[in-house]
Amino acid sequence: MSDKITLEIDGRSCKAALGEMIIAVADREGIAIPRFCYHPKLSVAANCRMCLVEAEQGGRPFPKPVPACATPVADGMKVQTRSHKALEAQRGTMEFLLINHPLDCPICDQGGECELQDVSMGYGEDISRFSERKRVVQDEDLGPLIATEMTRCIHCTRCVRFGAEIAGVRELGATGRGEEMRIGTFTAQTVQHELSGNIIDLCPVGALTSKPYRFSARAWELTERDSISPHDSVGANLQLHVRRNQVLRVHPRPNEAVNETWISDRDRFSYQGLNAAERLDQPMVKRNGVWHDIDWTSALKLAADGLRAVEGDTIGCLVSPRATLEEQFLLQKLLRALGSGHIDSRLRQQDFRGDASDPQRPWLGVSIAELEQQKALVLIGSDLRAEQPLLAHRIRKAALAGAQVSVFNYFNVELTHPHQSFTAPPGCLLVELAALAAALELRGSSDAVRELIGLAKPEDAHHALAQQLRAARNDGNGLILLGALAEADPDYTLIKALAEAIAIGSGVRLGYLPSAANSTGAALAGALPHRAPAGEVLETPGLNAREMLTSPRRAYLLWDIDPAADVLDPALAQVALSDAQLVVACSSFRTPALEQHAHLLLPISAFAETSGTFVNAEGRWQGFQGAVAPPGEARPGWKLLRVLGNLLELEGFAYDSARELRTELETLCANSSFDNSARALRPALKVPDIDQQLMRVGQVPIYASDMLTRHAAALQHTPLGESIAVHLHPEQAGELGFAHGERVSIRQGDATATATVVITDSVPKGCARIPAAVPGSETLGAQIGPVALTKARG
Amino acid sequence: MVENQNTVCFRTMHLPPERRYRLEEYRALGGYQQWERILRNRIDPGDVIEELKLSALRGRGGAGFPTGLKWSFMPRQAPGQKYIVCNSDEGEPGTCKDRDILRYNPHQLIEGMAIAGYCIGATAGYNYIRGEFYEPIARFEAALEEAYGAGLIGKNVFDSGVDFDLYTHLGAGAYICGEETALLESIEGKKGQPRYKPPFPAQAGLFGRPTTINNTESLASVPVILEKGGQWFLDQGRPNNGGPKLFSVTGHVAKPGNFEVPLGTPFKDLLELAGGMQDGRALKAVIPGGSSVPVVPGERMMSVDMDYDSITKAGSMLGSGAVIVIAEGTCMVKVLANLAHFYAHESCGQCTPCREGTGWLARVLERIRAGQGQAKDLELLDSVAGRIGGRTICALGDAAAMPVQSFLKHYRHEFEHLIEHGKSMNLA
Amino acid sequence: MLQRARDYLNSLLLLEVLKGLRLTGGYLFKRKFTIQYPEEKAPISPRFRGLHALRRYPNGEERCIACKLCEAVCPALAITIEAEPREDGSRRTTRYDIDLFKCIYCGFCEESCPVDSIVETDIYEYHFENRGDNIMTKDKLLAIGDRYEERIAAARAADAPYR
Repeated sequence: MSDKITLEIDGRSCKAALGEMIIAVADREGIAIPRFCYHPKLSVAANCRMCLVEAEQGGRPFPKPVPACATPVADGMKVQTRSHKALEAQRGTMEFLLINHPLDCPICDQGGECELQDVSMGYGEDISRFSERKRVVQDEDLGPLIATEMTRCIHCTRCVRFGAEIAGVRELGATGRGEEMRIGTFTAQTVQHELSGNIIDLCPVGALTSKPYRFSARAWELTERDSISPHDSVGANLQLHVRRNQVLRVHPRPNEAVNETWISDRDRFSYQGLNAAERLDQPMVKRNGVWHDIDWTSALKLAADGLRAVEGDTIGCLVSPRATLEEQFLLQKLLRALGSGHIDSRLRQQDFRGDASDPQRPWLGVSIAELEQQKALVLIGSDLRAEQPLLAHRIRKAALAGAQVSVFNYFNVELTHPHQSFTAPPGCLLVELAALAAALELRGSSDAVRELIGLAKPEDAHHALAQQLRAARNDGNGLILLGALAEADPDYTLIKALAEAIAIGSGVRLGYLPSAANSTGAALAGALPHRAPAGEVLETPGLNAREMLTSPRRAYLLWDIDPAADVLDPALAQVALSDAQLVVACSSFRTPALEQHAHLLLPISAFAETSGTFVNAEGRWQGFQGAVAPPGEARPGWKLLRVLGNLLELEGFAYDSARELRTELETLCANSSFDNSARALRPALKVPDIDQQLMRVGQVPIYASDMLTRHAAALQHTPLGESIAVHLHPEQAGELGFAHGERVSIRQGDATATATVVITDSVPKGCARIPAAVPGSETLGAQIGPVALTKARG
Repeated sequence: MVENQNTVCFRTMHLPPERRYRLEEYRALGGYQQWERILRNRIDPGDVIEELKLSALRGRGGAGFPTGLKWSFMPRQAPGQKYIVCNSDEGEPGTCKDRDILRYNPHQLIEGMAIAGYCIGATAGYNYIRGEFYEPIARFEAALEEAYGAGLIGKNVFDSGVDFDLYTHLGAGAYICGEETALLESIEGKKGQPRYKPPFPAQAGLFGRPTTINNTESLASVPVILEKGGQWFLDQGRPNNGGPKLFSVTGHVAKPGNFEVPLGTPFKDLLELAGGMQDGRALKAVIPGGSSVPVVPGERMMSVDMDYDSITKAGSMLGSGAVIVIAEGTCMVKVLANLAHFYAHESCGQCTPCREGTGWLARVLERIRAGQGQAKDLELLDSVAGRIGGRTICALGDAAAMPVQSFLKHYRHEFEHLIEHGKSMNLA
Repeated sequence: MLQRARDYLNSLLLLEVLKGLRLTGGYLFKRKFTIQYPEEKAPISPRFRGLHALRRYPNGEERCIACKLCEAVCPALAITIEAEPREDGSRRTTRYDIDLFKCIYCGFCEESCPVDSIVETDIYEYHFENRGDNIMTKDKLLAIGDRYEERIAAARAADAPYR
């Protein structure tokens, strides 16, 4: 800040930058000015008139009180926030705000944490002079997440501005004039943006409150516990509000570097899953097809005996990428001590041919905050808003600041900012990427890439994008990001090879959008077949997630996953599990697939019930403590593994706390830096047949991402809580002879399911978008792969 | 009788009604010659603005800001699109002067806007016309067509290389859209709500571009000022109060109507022009500048001259020049309740004091009018009005507060009587 | 020596007893303060703070809106409330427990109640026969309220002028 100026607020001399508003300077100085419409993350509206202060400039007082939120500071300015004139103005506004505000604080969920309540204690009168009838406003139905009580609205328009400026979707607006002004949806729609829950925090009164939390507790009853979001790879900082050992709601914890002051609705409402009826709270064993409750001692003995009874090499372990760093570390230690190297957390990856040449410890490539500064961004294979709602917001900020955002994807992704789409079905998307490479005049380092570039016919759009990337190179602000959908591509290695070629050729950076909370940490924990702890390269890797299923193991250890939803190919997984001699599932939920295929169910803690660490996309280690005790007999995962290790008489399991584990890992990883450059030349690969075979693209909808979210009832009831359907291009549907709404049967090899046809032009020809991990998709095959559709019989 | 009537905006009024608005008649009076002279001689915009400053033309919409000064704030040299906007959303109760300019002299407005556009570097203009003005809209549109047809506006006017395009935009009946920034929002297709200033429209106006907004009468005065000279215009009125002004005289007068008379004309002469009091009733009060300004008692008004400074001295404002004449026997409580209802209805709802306060005032006044008032209500009205005025984004808050305070100041006894006796003291 | 002799005489002649009997005898003919409880009962103030009750509105709707102010103000932490939206969307308790072993009958709960729902009645004769009876549940409290509404309302009305 070069233009430092000095002004005086309430007699205190303050330094400020030119162009700052009085209220921002006062906030920094700790001088309280009451406000309602002002919010540092939103544009200035100056409509509540609560922050009126008295000011003078150069000895000349302003004729009227000025709003502190909209008055820029000037050198030598003198501001009085508590002079008679200022206080009279503030009290006046307070009176006006209260005359039509209902006196229903006792039944209002905001009661006790209400900005209006707080400020009225300081500026309101005891007795109202208003003896007319109060305004009553019809409520809006904003869907299952946000409860409304619009009579309480004070028209600060924070929620309206949030929609317009942050979410990028104007879901709420003001209609009507004067006293009749109403905040609402124009056309009686639900609010469905994935960040919209933030308007609950923004609303200074009880007009917008959380529906799942409705009437369940009071602010003063709740204990605040810090935590980290277990869903996407942002690791949003959370504050859990706990009462009587129950998480009752989740709020964001401001952290400019990570989540600013926002969290996604998934972070906010997934806690509902913690109290779901399907929680596993008792060790269980299946005898003759019937599940019996057993005690921990017997359960652990059964597990240890079972694992001892099979040869180490025949054990496979599939671990959730949302497991904590500590759990992943102990799991790999257990597996490797038993003589098996078969552990993987990349459950949705299809093509592992790049393992040997993959970067040692892949990451986002830039810090999360730096995303905003990018000038050119290329997203490959990512349903960005569903995968990473908060990173999507950062990218939106970059786009609004002028960045060129291009998306290479299998279907059109709805983004709320200007962007260019290159949409093609799997296979063809490779050619689209190759066209960009060709436009950059790259030749390619391997035969396959060369061949693809040869096939490509770059068009104007590719040339323009090439130009943007070259321009972004100069100030180092170009970034290519590989998303979670690309990971499921049968030719992921080729995509990576092309992306690397484009990044190197155009001089921009390459980054990975890891799909889950601890995907980046998995490399550090060693929860990958080809990586030891600290991400050290293993020259003789174990079997990867897919190989463990294609060449079935005799025993499986599943860590907090549902084999019908949390893997790339649920059909394949379930076949492999059903043939196994022993399936030990450590899980926080009971699911039909687990009950069908597991032999032993061990209840472990879910999010908020254990301490641990997540490493987010940018490589930030974020530790957290358990906020509530796990239900029933469930125990923190790391403790279970520690005891199991001891029972198996393995070395190095004598940990007394999760902290000890963390310290050990920190020491191990002290010199492990992240790097996205390929370790070796990409292998020679065959270019796939790019024919017009119909391909399934199974993206994971935002509220299907993990077991906890899938059990959060309110999220499932939103429009984004998808269930199975076949989304087809109109021409494709025409060729196949399907009508909108028709039932069709889906066949992927031996895997089948039925679903309804949805005709949409957001999907290209040659592609059938059939979501994964949703009800109805449990019996299907790989997320991306050939699919056959026929009319359903009957 | 008043000398020098109908010299500027109403200079076509001597013609038969059906010919007043024709292009050929306007040209016969010397119309469009100033526009042509400026373009052909490449007169420096600065010189035009100097002439305007000399004329002491003050904004005729109500605020009375010097027009020349306003134009000089525009960053004329700045690159990119700039706009001139004419505010014909004449919504101030009592005002109907712009309507008659649009009806009887639309070409003078077009010429004035073209000259303004040239002076501030705008190649496009919008005329925002009140939606209820069916006939004036048609007249203006027809005039616009004539002007385009004659090559008086459009691309490369008079081969000078200067472009000027003019568009009509219709309001939808909101009083607040007469506020200049709300008007801009409305043109942009948004809800008509005033913007917080700064930034002023001259920096970021219509579509975020530098914009000047003037009242219809101000713009229509420009061609005549340039034709006859700034000094002539100034001499028409009084120092700092240049030119004639249109007054819309309404209320209890025999012949209500619009009158263009020099600023500084005594009120009693204006009243005479309007045919004197209706049915010979006695004068009780006058609201001299549209409903938003403080009321002035009749006897005081009879000694006031109609110009900005004199009326300010009398404790009110010239405003838009709408003179509302109120005769003895009128219930002032009812008048105020009526006005308060208007402002409550027209508040945009954006900022708190006006949104909540205008409704409160209206309800209390309605209660008093219905005989349900209490003694403490008058204190309450005064206090609430005081808490609205000067606390809002735009001037509507002040406009709603001022009548209340002035009525209570001058006619408190009528309110007290009604509260005490349950009926108006003006009932026969 | 002399002192011991005097003490001996005092006890031999029962002088202390006679002094006591004189005091007792003095009161024998004065006005009586004691009453024959339980046949007779002392009058009590309308502000008496006895057993709790939850009241209803005359139309039968329960007054309590689950604002939890009584729970928050209770110095003995005797009140436990759980709430959720009722079917009609209104805010209602699903659990309202007062532990009478914890309660100190301070009356803060009724003072804090914005809807005059929780009140302390003039009932002071109650006992428990089983473990757990000390917990007054919502049903029990409402039943007391229903049964004694007239008395509660009368006490409130009597005290109203002083509030």
